[in-house]
Amino acid sequence: MSARGRLFGWGILLVPLAVSVALFVGPLAQLFMISLREPSSTELYGTGWTLANYTQLAEDDFIARIVWRTMWTSFLVLGCALAIGYPVAWRIARMPPRKRSLVLLALLFPLMVSNVVRAYGWVAILGRRGVVNTTLQQAGVIDFPMALLFTPEAVVMGLLTILLPYMVISIANALATLDPRYEEAAASLGAGPIRSFIHVVFPLSAPGVASGALLVFLLTLSAYVTITLLGGPRSKLLVSLVYDSVVAFQWPQAAALAFVLLALALATCGLILAVLRPGRVQGGAR
Amino acid sequence: MNASTGEADVVLSRVRKSFGAVVAVDDVSLSIARGSIVSLLGPSGCGKTTTLRLVAGFERPDAGEVSIRGARVNDVPPYRRDFGMVFQSYALFPHLTVADNVGFGLRMRHVPREERRRLVAEALALVKLEGFADRQPRQLSGGQQQRVALARAIVFKPAVLLLDEPLGALDKMLREEMQVELRQLQQRLAITTVFVTHDQEEALTLSDRVAVMRGGRIEQVGAPREIYERPATEFVAGFLGASNFLDAEVAEPGRVRVGGAGFDVPGAAGVPGTRLRLAVRPERVVLSPDGGEGLEATLRDVIFRGSTVHFYLESAIGPLLAYRQNEDGGDRGLRPGQRVRCSWSPGSAVVVAPLGDATR
Repeated sequence: MSARGRLFGWGILLVPLAVSVALFVGPLAQLFMISLREPSSTELYGTGWTLANYTQLAEDDFIARIVWRTMWTSFLVLGCALAIGYPVAWRIARMPPRKRSLVLLALLFPLMVSNVVRAYGWVAILGRRGVVNTTLQQAGVIDFPMALLFTPEAVVMGLLTILLPYMVISIANALATLDPRYEEAAASLGAGPIRSFIHVVFPLSAPGVASGALLVFLLTLSAYVTITLLGGPRSKLLVSLVYDSVVAFQWPQAAALAFVLLALALATCGLILAVLRPGRVQGGAR
Repeated sequence: MNASTGEADVVLSRVRKSFGAVVAVDDVSLSIARGSIVSLLGPSGCGKTTTLRLVAGFERPDAGEVSIRGARVNDVPPYRRDFGMVFQSYALFPHLTVADNVGFGLRMRHVPREERRRLVAEALALVKLEGFADRQPRQLSGGQQQRVALARAIVFKPAVLLLDEPLGALDKMLREEMQVELRQLQQRLAITTVFVTHDQEEALTLSDRVAVMRGGRIEQVGAPREIYERPATEFVAGFLGASNFLDAEVAEPGRVRVGGAGFDVPGAAGVPGTRLRLAVRPERVVLSPDGGEGLEATLRDVIFRGSTVHFYLESAIGPLLAYRQNEDGGDRGLRPGQRVRCSWSPGSAVVVAPLGDATR
């Protein structure tokens, strides 16, 4: 690229870069400062510096349990999304292009409904006087309503219905653009369908799997409405604690929790990328 | 099944394949002798690639039979057939190193690691890529990728090697170099090889036998020299190099009349007056001064092409083309507008089936 071309390239990036620095990096830096402030009973945060906001979190068993539950929930959602999403994506990728785009559009359709509406939909289904319980009671299968709502299972179910399309679409795109010659080459070398999938198709779909996994994982970590409405007070996740601290005017603690969340997100993203190694596929062999 | 399968590694008998309403391969029979290299030659859409894919098993025939090493393989999936294949795009696995690409077929065959390493090194040496084992495919040039694809296809010593336009993506110089190398490698390994090409020179250079295809059918099969010198049809004569096509009339058996001139044509049969189509290669057309024997023509243009000189002529029966080796650096004093006589030796004119009738 010429010097002029490079300059032009940076020029295009300038505005989004400036916006990002002003509205994201800057506030984030300020948030980090706040997480190192002493708490104050009269102001949002005190004037002294301290590491106590972090050390307190590290010593708190309750926090440890919530972190554990957050990671467990996120990985469960991720695992289910992958296990359900990959076969669906595989099937969609084999459809003729016109049909494929129609199906992908249909997958996106539920995303047009607000998260709040959708979560209340689950409440109507899973609640004590919801569809499931009343039906089972009337049929005489159960005598008393079951506690379906406000459980970790309800949270996972609720998140899956929102996040599954992200996974399916990412993987379907990767599989649909995969040159069928790769599979034919594997077959010519003696690989049956299963080994062809393990050694060729899955590794080559890694970029799609990685982007789907990152989307699902990050959106799970930052979901609030769904986990609050479907998890209730007993299935709180890290995000709920951040919110609770903010409304309790514990800003330094809320900031520290936010950074714990960020650190978990970054570490897990690193882990996902390290396992799937999407980079080794990119660049193609032509 | 074809009778002479004793030494044939691949036999297609009366194979047919259609996609919807389009008949891609129409009643193709072909027998490929062990250790020989056969090309499927034809324009795009002639069915040559589909024929290759039928041998590989990527397509299933609607009718007829495909056999490899004497065993019917119609219902055998590709991964259980014993063949190696080089794809036009090479289809090297981008997530694997060169060594892992080449070793893939061995790994699928459960060859132990040490043995695998040795065979991969051998195969890479064979295609002159020692020292490239740990590279990624994307770090290689087109020619190098082509060699890796070839090494990957031959390393497990398959019964048959299939090549789909293997040199199509290379530039002209490299292509000619690889043609010779491929030929030497094929002969050294004595591996039964089928390859698809639309390049007539490539087919002539590489093949023991050439099958010229058109419209899903095999138009003619034969050794390169045979196909070139004795084309059975106007299509074959026209597809393999340039040819003059002349309408002739039988004067007596073995002699024809072309535009008022008489020529001996050994293959001209039939009662006097029978109409024939003749093919004469431009390099066989001899030009002599006006007044002698032969077909009258006017020289329209002289094109200097380096090693050859091309003469464009106009005769009573249409345009003619003549090539002459550039032996003296000049055009022998022939100038556009000059009247000349065109003739050829008796064996140089071949009676061909006109383009109108499809095959045979």
